[in-house]
Amino acid sequence: MKRIFIIIAFLGLAIPAAAQNVQSCRSVRLRFFSSAPLEDIEAMSTQGVSAINPATRAIYFKVPITSFQFKKKLMQEHFNENYLESDKFPYAEFKGRVLGTTDLTKDGTWPVEAEGDLQIHGVTKSYRVSGTITIAGGNLAAEAKFKVRVADHNIKIPSLVIKNIAEVVEVTMSAQYQPAVKP
Amino acid sequence: MLHLRLLTALLLTAPAAMAQDDLGAIFGKDSVRRDPVTSTFKSTRIINGQSNETLARGDLDFRVAHRFGDIGGSGGGSSTFFGLDNSTDIRIAFEYGITDRLTAGLSRSKGNGNFSQMWEVLGKFKLLQQTHDNRVPVGITLFANAVVSSMKSSPDQADPNYFAKFSDRGSAVAQLVISRKFGEMVSLALLPSFVHRNRVGFKDMNNMFAMGLGGRLRFSKRVALVADYFYSFRDEESKDYYESRGTKFYNSLGVGVEIETGGHVFHLNFTNATAILENQFIPETVSTWTHGQFRWGFNISRRFSLGGR
Repeated sequence: MKRIFIIIAFLGLAIPAAAQNVQSCRSVRLRFFSSAPLEDIEAMSTQGVSAINPATRAIYFKVPITSFQFKKKLMQEHFNENYLESDKFPYAEFKGRVLGTTDLTKDGTWPVEAEGDLQIHGVTKSYRVSGTITIAGGNLAAEAKFKVRVADHNIKIPSLVIKNIAEVVEVTMSAQYQPAVKP
Repeated sequence: MLHLRLLTALLLTAPAAMAQDDLGAIFGKDSVRRDPVTSTFKSTRIINGQSNETLARGDLDFRVAHRFGDIGGSGGGSSTFFGLDNSTDIRIAFEYGITDRLTAGLSRSKGNGNFSQMWEVLGKFKLLQQTHDNRVPVGITLFANAVVSSMKSSPDQADPNYFAKFSDRGSAVAQLVISRKFGEMVSLALLPSFVHRNRVGFKDMNNMFAMGLGGRLRFSKRVALVADYFYSFRDEESKDYYESRGTKFYNSLGVGVEIETGGHVFHLNFTNATAILENQFIPETVSTWTHGQFRWGFNISRRFSLGGR
C-alpha cells in the first residue's frame, strides 16, 4: 500500500513535468503554391498555431483559413467563398506524431517524418510528411513541405478555371517553438 | 503485486495519451474569430442600390448596367419585343479601390428622369466592418456621389431641365449602407439615403430623404437571389400637385438573380425604376410594377486586379 502511494506521488510530480516539455508556436508560417498552365497562385499565412510534445512525439497544427493572404484580393475572396468555404470550415487542422526514434530533446538537426490526420474543408485525410526538426538549446524548430490534392478534400474546381488552379497544391510550413505557457 | 504493476503501467501511459490529445487545447481560447465578415454582398451594388462592399486595394471594377423598356403596359408588349427594343438607361463605370476601404469611381449614364447625359463622380468608404465574433454586429459603409448633366438646356424656363447656370445641372446623393450577414445564406442592408437636386420642377423637392432595404439570399456557391426597395419620403403637397397633373411617383423595387463566375458578376433583374443612378431613381420613378411598367435589366461587373503589393 505504501508503495502505491509512493508511485502515485512520483507520478503526480511527473505529469506536470511532462506537460512543461510541450513547446508551442503561435506564428507558424504557411505558404501554399499552385502552379497551373495559366497562372501561379501563392498565398501566405503567419497566423497558424502549433504545439509539439517531445516526450510523446505528438504534434499539432491549426490555421485559420481566412488568414491566408493573396496578392490578388479577389482571388482571396474566391478562395474563402467558393473553394475552402471558410465560413463553414474556418480552420485547417493537423493532429499527428513524429515517427522514428530521434531524441527530440537533443540539440541538432534531424530529418524526420510525421504521420497524422489533416483536416481541410471539413474532410480528414491521413498524411505522411517529411521535414526537418532543428533543436537548439532545447527549443525546437520545424520545417516541412508536402503536397495536398485538392480533390482529396472535396474542393471542387470548375472546369472553367481548371487551367488557372492546380489540382495538387504544394504547402510549405515552418515553425519556431518555445516552451508552452500553460493556458 | 500484479495489481501494483498494472496500476503503474496504467498510470504511466495515461498522462502520455492525455498530453497528446491536449495539444490542441493549449490554443483553445483563441478559437473566437475576430476577423471581419467578408462577402456580405458579392458586388458593390445590390440591384439599384449600393451594397456595403467596396473594392480591394488596386482592384478596378468595370461596370455596365442596362435597363430595357417596359415589358407590359402601353410602352411594352410585342411591338417593342417586351421592352427589349428600348433602353431607358445605360451606365458605364470605372470604379477603383484606392485602399481596401475606399473606392472612387467615374461613370457616364444615359439618364432617365428630368435630366439625361449624366456624369458621375462617386466615393465609397467602409466605416465599420461586421466581425465574426459580433463585437461589431453590423457593417457601415458611406456612399456619396456628385452628378452633372451635360444635356442641352430646355428653352422653357419652367422646365426642370432649363439651366440658367452650371450649378442647375448638378445633384448629389449621400447614403449610409448598414449591412449584416446572417450566416452564410442571408445578407440584409438598410440604406438611409438623402438626395439633393439643385434644380427641380415646380413643387418638386430639392432635398429628399429615402429609406432603402436590400437583401441577398444565397442558394448556391455562385448563385443568389437579390432584391432592393427604396421608399422615398416625398411630401403630400408635392404628391398631390403632381397627381393632379397626371404624374404619380412610385417607390423602386428591383428583384434579380446574381451569378458569379470568378471575376465576373452578372445581375439579371426586373425593376420598375427606369433610371440607374440614385439621383434619379429615388425621386423620379414614375413607372409601376402594377401597370406592367417593369423591365429587364442587367448589371455586369468585371474586376481586374491591377495593384497587388
